[in-house]
Amino acid sequence: MSSRRGRITDEEINELISKLQALLPESSRRRTASRSSASKLLKETCGYIKSLHQEVDDLSDRLSELMSTLDDASPQAEIIRSLLR
Amino acid sequence: MDAKGAPLPTQPSPNPSRLASGSASAADAPKPMLAFHFLRALSRVHAGPARRRTRTISRAAYSSMARAAGPRRAWSRALLRQAQARRSATLASRRTAVLVRRRVAAGPAPPLALPRLTGRSSGSSGETSAARAALLPPPSPAPRQAGEPARSDALRRLVPGGAGMEYCSLLEETADYVRCLRAQVQLMQGLADLFSCQ
Repeated sequence: MSSRRGRITDEEINELISKLQALLPESSRRRTASRSSASKLLKETCGYIKSLHQEVDDLSDRLSELMSTLDDASPQAEIIRSLLR
Repeated sequence: MDAKGAPLPTQPSPNPSRLASGSASAADAPKPMLAFHFLRALSRVHAGPARRRTRTISRAAYSSMARAAGPRRAWSRALLRQAQARRSATLASRRTAVLVRRRVAAGPAPPLALPRLTGRSSGSSGETSAARAALLPPPSPAPRQAGEPARSDALRRLVPGGAGMEYCSLLEETADYVRCLRAQVQLMQGLADLFSCQ
């Protein structure tokens, strides 16, 4: 994507930063101005990554709970168990 | 480059394709591959012990995410290295525990058996220390480049493998990592919804 010709130009960095901005969720994109500083954008990105990590943990928790309910003898549990086999 | 080139032995259900059509994202970690790796890991978790499943599932999420992305990304390589180190550390400690038990149970062990055992245990303890070293955070991060904002330190800590990267690569890796993380979260949400509608 970026060509490493010795020194990285500011344009390339700004391009990468705007790509990052495009990845952030809509709500934070509206809050930050279109020409926000790189530092602010990095802060948003850090917050977003942290929230994603937190979501992974919460979903892992939920999945592990659901998995323990699979040990019941309900027909739905049997279907899901066959899915996991 | 072609992650879909790997053969999928069993496509578990039409759900992965439904999840894939749900959101338009870059084809870094194609959704079917993500689903395949994660579901395979989940079936292993389900077959395994019921304790500490949350942590196992969380680790499986990151490993399968890294596997689906492949080794062409620094963050996925870093995650795969961490998983490998964790596996060899567990294996080495388990092996050492087994050897200790065997030695105790055997009593006066024949001299031929011992050198082999000690040879293996010293090898595994070498593995353990190397594995533990890989698990530890890198000792000294690369100095920040000119013009790099202070916030990048926090980002380096969040993105796996981010400590030694150049600023430019860090931004690229972060973008890819965020995309794959989001896909993983969507996959897990879909699975949780699927499993909970009983």
